[in-house]
Amino acid sequence: MNIVVMRLTARSLLGNRRSWVLVALAALMWIVAGLTRWGSGASPSATAGLMTNFALGTLIPVMCLLIGTGVIAQEIEDGSIVYLLAKPLPRRVIALSKLAVGLGAALVFTVASVVIGTMISGDQDWRISIALGTSTALASLVYTAVFFAISILSRNPVIVGLIYALLWEGVLAGYIPGVKMVSVRQWALAPAEDLLAAHPAWNVVSDVGLVAAYVLLAITFVAAVYAAIQRLKTLSVRVSE
Amino acid sequence: MTAIELAGVSRWFGNVVAVNDVTMTIGPGVTGLLGPNGAGKTTLLSMMSGFLPPSSGTVTLDGAPVWRHPEAYRRIGLVPEAEAMYDGMTAWDFVYANAQLHLLPDPGAATKRALESVDMMGPRDRVVGTFSKGMKQRVKMATALVHQPDVLLLDEPFNGMDPRQRLHLLDLLQELGAAGTVVLFSSHILEEVEDVAGTIEVVVAGRQAASGDFRSIRRLMTERPHQYTISSSDNRSLAAAIISDGSADAVTITPSSLEVQASDFGRFVHALPRLALASKISLDEVTPADESLESVFSYLVSR
Amino acid sequence: MSSETAPGATTNGSVIHDIGFRHYEGARLGRGWAFRSLLVETIRGSFGIGRPAKVKAMPMVLLGFMTATAIIADAVTILTKADSPSMPYTQFAMNMWLLIAMFVAGRAPYAVSRDLRDGVLPLYLSRPLKRGDYVWAKLAGVSIATFLFIAVPLTLLLVGSLLAKLDAAHEIWTWSGSVLMAAVLAVLLSTLSLAVASFTKRRGFGVAAIMTLVVMAAAFAAIVVNVVNFKVSQAAGAYFSAFDPFALVDALGSSWLGVEPVVAERHPVGFLGGFVLTSVLVALVVLGITVLMRRFKKVGGV
Repeated sequence: MNIVVMRLTARSLLGNRRSWVLVALAALMWIVAGLTRWGSGASPSATAGLMTNFALGTLIPVMCLLIGTGVIAQEIEDGSIVYLLAKPLPRRVIALSKLAVGLGAALVFTVASVVIGTMISGDQDWRISIALGTSTALASLVYTAVFFAISILSRNPVIVGLIYALLWEGVLAGYIPGVKMVSVRQWALAPAEDLLAAHPAWNVVSDVGLVAAYVLLAITFVAAVYAAIQRLKTLSVRVSE
Repeated sequence: MTAIELAGVSRWFGNVVAVNDVTMTIGPGVTGLLGPNGAGKTTLLSMMSGFLPPSSGTVTLDGAPVWRHPEAYRRIGLVPEAEAMYDGMTAWDFVYANAQLHLLPDPGAATKRALESVDMMGPRDRVVGTFSKGMKQRVKMATALVHQPDVLLLDEPFNGMDPRQRLHLLDLLQELGAAGTVVLFSSHILEEVEDVAGTIEVVVAGRQAASGDFRSIRRLMTERPHQYTISSSDNRSLAAAIISDGSADAVTITPSSLEVQASDFGRFVHALPRLALASKISLDEVTPADESLESVFSYLVSR
Repeated sequence: MSSETAPGATTNGSVIHDIGFRHYEGARLGRGWAFRSLLVETIRGSFGIGRPAKVKAMPMVLLGFMTATAIIADAVTILTKADSPSMPYTQFAMNMWLLIAMFVAGRAPYAVSRDLRDGVLPLYLSRPLKRGDYVWAKLAGVSIATFLFIAVPLTLLLVGSLLAKLDAAHEIWTWSGSVLMAAVLAVLLSTLSLAVASFTKRRGFGVAAIMTLVVMAAAFAAIVVNVVNFKVSQAAGAYFSAFDPFALVDALGSSWLGVEPVVAERHPVGFLGGFVLTSVLVALVVLGITVLMRRFKKVGGV
């Protein structure tokens, strides 16, 4: 890990409009949580539903997309990444440093959104906060790594990332049974299902077993990081469109 | 002696051959990589700076390839063409960060030295995003020099510089070259190269057109015949007069004009009005053929 | 017309050579032509026509998805000999909302962010083109491109229905209603997307910002409507469709054309609702255009 790379990355990730969008998204989560509380009378099952669907299904992937692409895509697009690449630093170090910043930011923003959102929307003995906070953390780590890799591998990381996160996980998963097994969201929900086993009424379920989920999450994470590093080693600085 | 060696290097992108079997050695001193736009200069520079592998042949720095060997960057300084930098930082901070990334033991001193050499100590605390193009170029130079590299590669470094900045940069390059640094810069403007490059490598359409000492190549180029297109009140008589005068190499008559080829163009240009006057022919149009670098280069290539 | 000045001819030591520069005295196509050219170029560029293959990939892939869906729906209609189209026209745009959003989100920054980043606006404006013309041309260009993106697959659906020998008059009538709503949707999305894109020089961030806005608006609207439906009434809930451009157009479709809203659990919008939502639509479009004009008033150069 290289501190200078991390510092530069943190600076460009959070130093501009992007951080406003992230804060706005968190605020949106809390507003929706408030509305849900009003609508459902602070019912925990409504909270659970909100977090499983709105948060894990939409908000978290979008936040991770903004962060995962934010740590590297712009520099590749405008060519300023050459200042990092033309240095006696192994590409692995550069990639990991940037990713670390992304992961840190993602964890902070997503978990804060969800945990505070749960508090606003109505919880029972912190159960949902802990369970879905865990899911959120796991999903964020993997989503961010995947979007990071896509940023290096593709010219259009935002659209490709969204096709994956929303089309694949959101839409197709509803129509094609097999797809549900290959879904970060489902894997991340498994620990939550396990933690909330005592409250089946809250309907936090996952189509994947607990062990399988952890294994799949780990494999996907490692694969994404590996792909990112390998591609960075051979990246030629291209002129953008 | 530090040197970059290209041996039989070709690079193609699908069906397009950007660089075609180029062999050259770039040693200490200032070398200009000259060629029209699209000739493959940037591709060559990308290969030399380790950002593109050759499709065939080898590119090495003192025997070791640069591609996929980031340690080589300790000795290479790169001034890229890309406009973008970390716009939100001050010049000092940006160059300092570069110094740190080069793992220098005293980044502060190195930054100061680099900024001084490009005359940017004054605006060092201003944000890069507010700089003019020339100032940005100088900051780029500073980042390339901060680790005192043995090799300096510059991609069109004079773009956007005003005359004073250009002179400053030329002096800087000359100093570095004299001190034994391998300096290679690309350009498509002959006059820029003239002032500072000892050796030039000319590249046209991916192929090496000329290489060696600048002055001798210049001489070769002036020996090529010049072409003129003339239209007058009586082309045929004028053609006859030119031929019998002997100041032109070849005269071609086309339906609408006269094409003249003259290697001693000084003599021809003086003779023409005299001949026309003597034969009472009025000259309507005398146009020299395309004097651009492209035509010069293509002449060199076809030889 | 020109003659080569013999070298060395001087009066006071300085000479200007006539090197054959020709002044253009001929006809010049005017401002209208410039506007038209920019418009056409924006539309073509939105689909990657006239640009290298890599740029064509994304819009063509998205268009491919759209047409493939239409063709599959047609095949189902024909093969099952159904009485009505397997995917009604009104449903198509709503089902494909994500693809349409991605198309606009990609194309709006393409149209605007690059010009901002490269600071080429002074180049455009030093020609007969006026600042307003530039904005209108970009706006119209992206709108028309988006409209085509939706309308062409819609037309494919119509073709399928006609081939399945459904009642031609009815099909064409409903199809034209959907085409109208597609145009409205295209204009709304394009205006808002261009307005957002005009705030950033970074194309990638522009795309991300627009998609975030659209996706979160849809999700937000869905929740708000649900809550209001539950706590207040279905009719009141329908008003909150306004938060989501797709739902807004859908609701307007139900009001103007009298069809059922496609988005689940939405109450058809009556006359008053239609009036209010239409005003919201117009207000959003006007807002978007105003923002765009203001942005380009400020942005003069680098």
